[in-house]
Amino acid sequence: MGSILGDLPSFDPHNFSHFRPSDPSNPSKMTPTTYHPTHSRTIPPPDQVITTEAKNILIRNFYRRAEEKMRPKRAASEFLTQESGCKQPRASMTTSDTP
Amino acid sequence: MFRSSNVAARIFERQIRTPAPGTSVHCARLFYENLVPSHTIYDVECPDHSFRKFTEDGHYLISFSRNNQDLIVYRPRWPSFCCKEDNCIHDLPQKAKRFESFFTELYTVSLASNNELICKDMFLYSESNQFGVFVTSTAPLHDAPSSGEAVPGIPSIDKITFHLLRLRDGDTLDKKVFHNDFINLTHNMGVFLYDDLLAIVSLRFQTIHILQIRDSGNLVDVRAIGTFCREDDELFLNSNAQYMPVSDQSQLNHSENDVETRAHQNPLYQNNTLLSGIKQRLLSFVFREIWNEESDDALRIQSLKKKFYFHFQDYVDLIIWKVQFLDRHHLLIKFGSVDGGVRNADQHPAFFAVYNMETTEIVAFYQNSAEELYLFFEMFCDHFHPQSRSSLHMNFISSHSNNIYAFEQLRGIKKKAIFTQFVKKMLGSLPFSCQSRSPSPYFDQSLFRYDEKLISATDRHRQSTDHPIKFITRRQPYTLKFKIKTGPEAGSADSRTKKISSFLFHPFLPLALSIQQTVFSQPSINIHFRK
Repeated sequence: MGSILGDLPSFDPHNFSHFRPSDPSNPSKMTPTTYHPTHSRTIPPPDQVITTEAKNILIRNFYRRAEEKMRPKRAASEFLTQESGCKQPRASMTTSDTP
Repeated sequence: MFRSSNVAARIFERQIRTPAPGTSVHCARLFYENLVPSHTIYDVECPDHSFRKFTEDGHYLISFSRNNQDLIVYRPRWPSFCCKEDNCIHDLPQKAKRFESFFTELYTVSLASNNELICKDMFLYSESNQFGVFVTSTAPLHDAPSSGEAVPGIPSIDKITFHLLRLRDGDTLDKKVFHNDFINLTHNMGVFLYDDLLAIVSLRFQTIHILQIRDSGNLVDVRAIGTFCREDDELFLNSNAQYMPVSDQSQLNHSENDVETRAHQNPLYQNNTLLSGIKQRLLSFVFREIWNEESDDALRIQSLKKKFYFHFQDYVDLIIWKVQFLDRHHLLIKFGSVDGGVRNADQHPAFFAVYNMETTEIVAFYQNSAEELYLFFEMFCDHFHPQSRSSLHMNFISSHSNNIYAFEQLRGIKKKAIFTQFVKKMLGSLPFSCQSRSPSPYFDQSLFRYDEKLISATDRHRQSTDHPIKFITRRQPYTLKFKIKTGPEAGSADSRTKKISSFLFHPFLPLALSIQQTVFSQPSINIHFRK
C-alpha cells in the first residue's frame, strides 16, 4: 500500500486490509455522521443570555429562605411537595388557590 | 499530586504534567512542603518596636514605636552575603544574623500627636493600591455624659482619627475624624474592609459608616446606616412637621418642670420619637415573619403577642455590635444587648441580620442559636469571608469549607459537644473580622499538621511553650518538616513567668518572625527562614 504509514508491522496481516488511504485527486464522498435532535423540548429560548449570578450562593440561600418564610402559609400538604433541592420554579405553586 | 517528595523530581514532573483544572495554586503550593523555614536565628538584635504584621502582598512589615505614636515600615528582603574563602559551605556569618539583613527600614511616620495613641491592633491594608488604614485615638472616658442620641453605658472617646496612608512612601492621603464617639478598636473588630469599601461601626451613636477608598487616596462617605437608611430619609423627615429631632424635644421640655423631664431624657422611652431607621426595618421584618407563619388571623395575633409584643422592648433595646460585608451590597450585622458584650453568648442573646444596603431591607434575621444559620456557616463558611478581587493569596486560606482536614476537625468537635452550645460557639465567631488570618501556605491544613492551640493563621497572642512547635506533612511520608521555637535557644531560665508569643509569617516567602513576650523583660524575637 502506498500509504504514509508504510509497511509497518501489524499483529495480524489481515488487519487494515480494507483500509484505503485517502487520495487527494479522488476525495472521499463519505460525510461524517451527524446527529439531529428528534424533538424541540430542550432548545434554549432564542434570547437566552448566560451570565454569572451576581449574588453568591450564601446570599441566594438567605433570600430563598426569606421568600419561603414570607410567602403566606398554605396547607400542610403543599408544603411537603417543596424540596430544598428544587431549582426550577414549580408552576403548580403559583396557580393554586389560597385555602 | 506529585509522585515523589523530592523537590527536583517534582520539578521534572511539573514539566510534563498539567494540574487538574482550577488547582494551579494548590499544585504550586505543594512546593512549600519542600521549601520550609527550618533555620532559626535566636534572639535577634532588633529595634525596639512592636511588630504588627506583614501586609498581605508581602511588600511591607508594619511596626509601631513603643510609645505608640510612630509608624515604622520595613521592606522584607532576603539576606545575601559573600565569603572571602574558596569553599564557602559555612553557616550564616555572624554579621548576617541581624534584623537588618532581612528588613530594610523604609520610613518612620509620626501618626499620633500629644495625647493620642496609635491603636496597635488596628491595621487594614488595601492591596490593590497599597494603601494602609491606621487609627489613632485619645483615651476613652468611661463615665461619658449621655448626649441626645448616644447609647447610655458605652464609653466615649474624644477623638478617633482614621489615617489613610500610601505605604510606598508613607504619605498621609486622607483622614476621617470621629468626635465623642466609640468604635471598637481592638483586633479590627469595629471596622471591615472589603475591596475599596470600609465599614466603621460607631457603637455610641449606633451608626454604620460606609466609606470608599478611592484610588486618588480620598476617603469618601458613601452612606451612614443607623438613624437613617436611605440618603434622603433625613430630608424627608425634616420636611414633615410631625417629626422633631430628639435634641429639640428635650429643649422644649426644659422650659417645664425639670424633675419630670429628667425621667424622660432617655430617647428610647420618649413617646413621640421615631425609632432609628434600621431598628424600624428590623422590627417590621420580625413582625412580617411572625405574621406569615400562621394563616388564621386569630392564630396570627396570638403568635404576635407571644413572640413579638412580649419581647418588643428587648428588640427595641438591641444595639449594633459588629458588622461585616457579605458582598458589596449586603451586610451581616450582629445585634446584642447593651450589657452583652461581643463574647457573652450565653446570658445575653445575640442576633444576626442580613441587610441589603441598596434596597435598605433586612433579608434575614436569626438568633445566635439558629440551626439554619449554623448550616449555612458549615456549608458556605468561605462566603462569610467575601472574596476580594484584588488579592490572590487571601482566597486560599484553609477553612472547614475548603479543606477536608479542617472539616474533620470541626466534625470531631461537633460530635463531642452539645449541639445548641456548639452552634452558639461557632456562630459567636460571626461576623468575622477582616484581615485577621495569615495567608501563609505554611498554615494550609492540607500541607501541614500543627497544633492549633499553639500557632495558627489567626494573629492572636498565645500561650508560649518552651518546646518547639512542629509542622508535620499531611501527606506521605508524614515527616516533620520544620519547627518553630519561640524564645531563646536554650529555653528561658524562668519557666514560671507567663509568656505569650505571637507569630508573623510572610505571605509567600519561607520567612517568619516569632515574638515571645513576658511582663518583665524585653520581647525576644526569632527569625525563621530557609537557609
